[in-house]
Amino acid sequence: MTARAPAGPLSPDTAEPASETAGRTLDRLASERATGALHGCAGALYLADGAVVHAESPAVPDLGRRLTARGRLSPQAWEEAVAEGGPGYRAGSLLVERGRLSRGELELCHLSALFDAAYFVLSPLGPGLRAPDRFLGGARHWLGPIRPVPVPLLRREVVRRRRLLERAWPRPEVDAAPVVRTSDGGAGPAQATGRRAVLAAADGVRTPVQIARDLGRPAFATLLDVRRLAAAGLVRTPCADTPTAPVPPPPAAPELSLLYRIRDALEAL
Amino acid sequence: MTGIDGCLAEAMTIPGARGASLVDWTSGLALGEAGEGPGRDHESAAADTAELARLAFENSAFTGATARTGPVEDLIVTARGSYHLVRFVETGFDSSVFLYLWLDRAEANLAVALFRLKGLTDRLVLA
Repeated sequence: MTARAPAGPLSPDTAEPASETAGRTLDRLASERATGALHGCAGALYLADGAVVHAESPAVPDLGRRLTARGRLSPQAWEEAVAEGGPGYRAGSLLVERGRLSRGELELCHLSALFDAAYFVLSPLGPGLRAPDRFLGGARHWLGPIRPVPVPLLRREVVRRRRLLERAWPRPEVDAAPVVRTSDGGAGPAQATGRRAVLAAADGVRTPVQIARDLGRPAFATLLDVRRLAAAGLVRTPCADTPTAPVPPPPAAPELSLLYRIRDALEAL
Repeated sequence: MTGIDGCLAEAMTIPGARGASLVDWTSGLALGEAGEGPGRDHESAAADTAELARLAFENSAFTGATARTGPVEDLIVTARGSYHLVRFVETGFDSSVFLYLWLDRAEANLAVALFRLKGLTDRLVLA
C-alpha cells in the first residue's frame, strides 16, 4: 500500500500544524517501510515495515489497564506476560499461547488501545504538548506485533475522530478540565452503560482522561461521552469562566519495574 | 478460529454472505473486513452501520437501561434484495465492537445466519 497524504476532504483545516507535520512524517516513514518509534512528550507510535504496530500515550489507559480494569485478566497474569514475553518482544502472543486470552480478544483490545493512543499522540490535549517529532530507528515494542495498521487508515481515523468530537459539542475546553455533574445530571434521560459510568465519575476533581484511566475505558470514547453529556447539559467544567490552567501531563506512570525490564532486555541484545 | 481474520473468513461461509466486517461503533472504524461492502466500500458502510448500532445501543427504548432487559444483541435490517445483520460482541473489557454481515436475500436463511453469527462472536472472545 502506498502511503500518501489523504486527499481532499480528509485534510481538515482545523488540524493544528504540529499534528500535520507529524502526519507527514508518518507518511514518509510508511513509504520508506521504516521500523522504529516516532515519539515525543505526547506519546509514541511504533512502526514495523512502515505500518503502525503500537501506540502509547500517557492520556490513554494502556492494554494492561484495559484488560485488568474489569477483571478480564488478573494483574498477576498481565505482569507475568510482560516479564516473560517482554524481553523477546512477544508479551502479546504469550497471553494467547498460555490461554489467558483468545486471539480475537487480544486483537480487539489492542487495536482499540492503538487507535485510542494514536489519536492523542497526533492530537495532543492542551497547547503545551507537541506532536512527536523524533524517530528512533529500529525500536520495537515489547508487546510484539499484533495486527499492523496501515498509516493512511490511521490518519483517516484520527481526522474522523476529531470531527466526531466537534460534531458532538464544539467546545474543547471540557476535554482537559475537571468535569462535574450539573444539577440535572442525576435526573437526565437514561444513558448507555459506559456513559452512565462517566457521568457518575464526573466529580469536579477528575478530568476526562483521569476518568478514562479509572474506568479502564478508551480515552477517546470518554471524551466523546463528556462532550455529549456537556451538549445535553448534564456536565460542565467547574469554573467555566476562568481560563483552564495548562493540564499537567498525567503522572508519567512510574512503572519502574517495567522500565527496568525494558532496560534489561535492551542490554541483553 | 484465529482472531479477526479467522472470524471474518468463517462469516463469509454463511450461506448468502456477500461481505462481513468487524466495526468499532464509537467512531465507525472497520477493524477488519472480508468480501464486498454494500454499495460503496467497507469503510463508508462501517461508518453508516455504526450510526445505526449506536442509536440502538444507546437508546433506552431498546436497552431499557437495566441489566435484565439490555443490552441489545442483534440488529436486523431487511431490504428487498438483502439482509444486513449486526451482532454486538460482548467482551470482558470496555469495548464497542460489532460483527456486520451483508447477505444476499435470495440465498440467505435469516435464522441460520443469526445462529451462526452468535456462535462466531461467542468464539471470537473465547479463550
